[in-house]
Amino acid sequence: MSHQGRDGAAGPSQPCLEGRVNPLREPALEAWGVYIHIPFCPVRCTYCDFPTVLVRDEEVTTAYVDAVIREWSGERIPHRPPLAVYLGGGTPSLLGPDAVDRLLGAIRQRTGSVGAEVTLEANPGTVDQDDLNGFRQAGITRLSIGVQALQDRLLREMNRGHGVDAVLETLAAAKRVGFPTVSMDAIYGWPGQTWRQWQETVEELIRLEPDHVSLYQLQVEPGTQLYRKIRRHELAPPNFDEAADMADWASRRLTQAGLARYEISSFARPGRHGRMNQLYWTLNPYVGLGMAAHAFDGRRRWWNARSLHGYLNRVRAGRDPVAGSEELNRPALMREYCWLGLRQVSGLTRQRFGQRFGADALPVFHRVWEELRQDGLITWDAERIALTARGLDLANLVMGRLIGAPLDADGTGKRG
Amino acid sequence: MDSAHIRNFCIIAHIDHGKSTLADRILERTGAVAERNMAPQLLDSMELERERGITIKAQAVCLSWEHLGQTYKLNLIDTPGHVDFTYEVSRALAACEGALLVIDASQGIEAQTLANLYLALEHDLTVVPIINKIDLPSADVDRVREELVEIGIDGTEALAVSAKQGIGIDEVLLAIVNRIPPPAGNLENPLRALIFDSRFDSYKGVLVFVRVVDGRVAVGDRIRFMATEKDFDVTEVGVFRPELTPVDALECGEVGYLAAQIKTVLDTRVGDTVTLAQRRALAPLAGYRPAHPMVFSGLYPVESGDYARLREALEKLRLNDAALTFEPETSLALGFGFRAGFLGLLHLEIVQERLEREYGLTLITTAPNVVYQVSLANGQTLRVDNPSMMPSAGEITEILEPVVDASIITPSEYIGAVMELAQERRGTYRELTYLDPQRAMLTYRLPLGEIMFDFFDQLKSRTHGYASLDYQLVGAEPADLVKMDILLNGEAVDALSSIVHRQRAYLKGKALVARLRELIPRQLFEVPIQAAIGNKVIARETVRALRKDVLAKCYGGDITRKRKLLEKQKEGKRRMKSVGSVEIPQEAFMAILRVEDEL
Repeated sequence: MSHQGRDGAAGPSQPCLEGRVNPLREPALEAWGVYIHIPFCPVRCTYCDFPTVLVRDEEVTTAYVDAVIREWSGERIPHRPPLAVYLGGGTPSLLGPDAVDRLLGAIRQRTGSVGAEVTLEANPGTVDQDDLNGFRQAGITRLSIGVQALQDRLLREMNRGHGVDAVLETLAAAKRVGFPTVSMDAIYGWPGQTWRQWQETVEELIRLEPDHVSLYQLQVEPGTQLYRKIRRHELAPPNFDEAADMADWASRRLTQAGLARYEISSFARPGRHGRMNQLYWTLNPYVGLGMAAHAFDGRRRWWNARSLHGYLNRVRAGRDPVAGSEELNRPALMREYCWLGLRQVSGLTRQRFGQRFGADALPVFHRVWEELRQDGLITWDAERIALTARGLDLANLVMGRLIGAPLDADGTGKRG
Repeated sequence: MDSAHIRNFCIIAHIDHGKSTLADRILERTGAVAERNMAPQLLDSMELERERGITIKAQAVCLSWEHLGQTYKLNLIDTPGHVDFTYEVSRALAACEGALLVIDASQGIEAQTLANLYLALEHDLTVVPIINKIDLPSADVDRVREELVEIGIDGTEALAVSAKQGIGIDEVLLAIVNRIPPPAGNLENPLRALIFDSRFDSYKGVLVFVRVVDGRVAVGDRIRFMATEKDFDVTEVGVFRPELTPVDALECGEVGYLAAQIKTVLDTRVGDTVTLAQRRALAPLAGYRPAHPMVFSGLYPVESGDYARLREALEKLRLNDAALTFEPETSLALGFGFRAGFLGLLHLEIVQERLEREYGLTLITTAPNVVYQVSLANGQTLRVDNPSMMPSAGEITEILEPVVDASIITPSEYIGAVMELAQERRGTYRELTYLDPQRAMLTYRLPLGEIMFDFFDQLKSRTHGYASLDYQLVGAEPADLVKMDILLNGEAVDALSSIVHRQRAYLKGKALVARLRELIPRQLFEVPIQAAIGNKVIARETVRALRKDVLAKCYGGDITRKRKLLEKQKEGKRRMKSVGSVEIPQEAFMAILRVEDEL
């Protein structure tokens, strides 16, 4: 669905934000979140196809923060604090403590509180001890560090712009500052990445005692430098069987070390799971601020202009930066609830599905569930529907089948 | 107009020697089209023809040219330029008295040049040799003249032309008038008109393209097609200028079209003779031959619900394509579909493309095969056009396969490479002649089944693009052939069966299962792939079970994108057919054709 053409529907003093997060549309939904996209990066990683901009110019970043704050001031939001705030990127740590403080201050001003979990994504080599102290003081409670690999050669191939030393320094500094939660990301399935390298990375992560770990299997995205290199045969394509072994081993090893797998790619110590992601997987609403940010109000999804100038120009002119939107009908919402919910290792809760849709998830998609169960990909009991161990490895296939799942019953006793 | 002022001619050439460009220049010079209205290569009117740069259907255009105070009517009949349509070419030639033989000044004589020349001589045509593209730096007119002498043509008679630059076009027109004889024929005799093409028009019914040999035909005449024995009332006759231009009558010697509310081209066979129902000719014109499909392929809708739509689409295509045959067929693997017959692989591709493009169908096409004549131990003979229908070896006493005589012209340094290729394809050597010290013509008898797919590509690649090929069907010969079955998960998949030569079965089987292993995506369970002859498994590979897929990271809650990716992934699966529980992509059904490269 395309942009609804709401540009200029309101005067310049008040950006038009009709239809934005509105708790009244789904009264059952208590929790909500704020995602702020910070697109700036000092370098472009070879595998990355996220919306980013290679900028370090403080004038631009200041103007951007101004725009985000202006966008926020026009949002319609629930009358209660958000559950989580997330500064994602890009490289949000490039902003510096003052800018982060201004952003969080603007949120607090309207909601009274920024909530229990305030995450900042940080890349090694972009911050020092002072910066981290500043972030903590500004209200960041959770630091998510993009480690990706602990071998200089791999970091170079990824074009991360730093070496292993910088990673270790940043981690040590974060420790000293004392963030309540420190999370670390790593990538597996990189072309040429050996077993030994992967084991080394995981063991080192464990030794560094993070509260949360995300392991992402490399996805080769068209348009990235990595994609071109593989197409030109300069790098071998990823081997999925090896990746499967790497994932299995790492999952066991992290669990042993007290980091339990709670989501397909995430592991956490008790009580330290990421709340923002959980909002996504349970179809709760979130505000999306900034260039290319996505938002959801419980029924409708919309997204901002994907270019920096498009975003800045619209907000500065007092116009809505939304570039497109889509309204999900009830069957579409039910499908999304299922395939997103399955990302959680504990699966989706049938009772919560029932509260939201007034129907039991099992009969609604009975044929697909049954098929998936026979293939050994999911399992269910009276409370939950969840992926099996095999299903966790083949989640994409499971989701693909749910995407087009026919409605077997609408939950009101009638056949749909 | 008296027939003394009519000239009927065609242009024949090897592909890319400039036939269409020369036709364009002639059309311009005679004012049939204004220069500014000229779409390049006007005669190639079908969209597909333009895309592929070849003429699929014959065309005819009536031109007027003033010379020394006389007005001549020049009928240019264009001919299809592909070996699939050799018979259509022969009928177009039969409608003419002369042929312009176009030869590229830098390429010289090629296999199709020769094949076309012999065809023209067979029809007693006066040949006007034209050396084209003399503007090219690599042009060597004298060498081409020498080559012409080698093949029995007076090289000094050849005109030097650049169609592209418009050089020598008047000389071409002069030669048409002066060298090509006017048509003979008798106006008083009963009507005899040769059908050299036809085309369906949604307003007028079938337009029948004819050359009137004897008598005349006019609106209101009741005509009869002598081969199909169907009668129709003529509603319109006319000529192409190049747009349809009605006239009162077409008389002996003239070329034009007639319309008679005919519903399907099946009634108007190329090569048939049109006469009058009330005053019939004693005998039809010589040379009629019903179109015979040479290669067969199964056409199956990916969505089984599309079967009826596929049938309708095939029926519509057949209204305009008498050479296309089809009959319902059932495959255990693919469900309900059709076994369709084509003149050749190009014809198959054209039909397949039109079904998908114009009718919006998604099809699974099985590997094309030739038709075999099978003698059984019980004395019966069978015509097998589907490998899976081949009886078991024990019941068979003999299998005949269609063979062609192929002529290949190549620079002499590649003779060895060409011979090697021909032998790999079970060719029997016939002859080697030199056109000049640098170029030779090799003649081989080859099984049609061995050359219809990639032989030409192989020939080109092994001779660095220099060799040219032409062939004609000469009959059927016995061969030691066996049916090779493919089993997926222990189940034979009928649509993957093929007929192969016994001595090459083992190698082909190995190559084919290896190829299938790459093509068949990994499934939730392990899939063994076996090649078998009868009960004997001759090769085996395994597609290992799928273990892991990648899960895209959803940045900042971009669920929409993730969902669209998953939907796209699903879309990509559409052109797969589930056979049992195994999903097979379209390419797998064509794999047998590709394994040659790997042997």
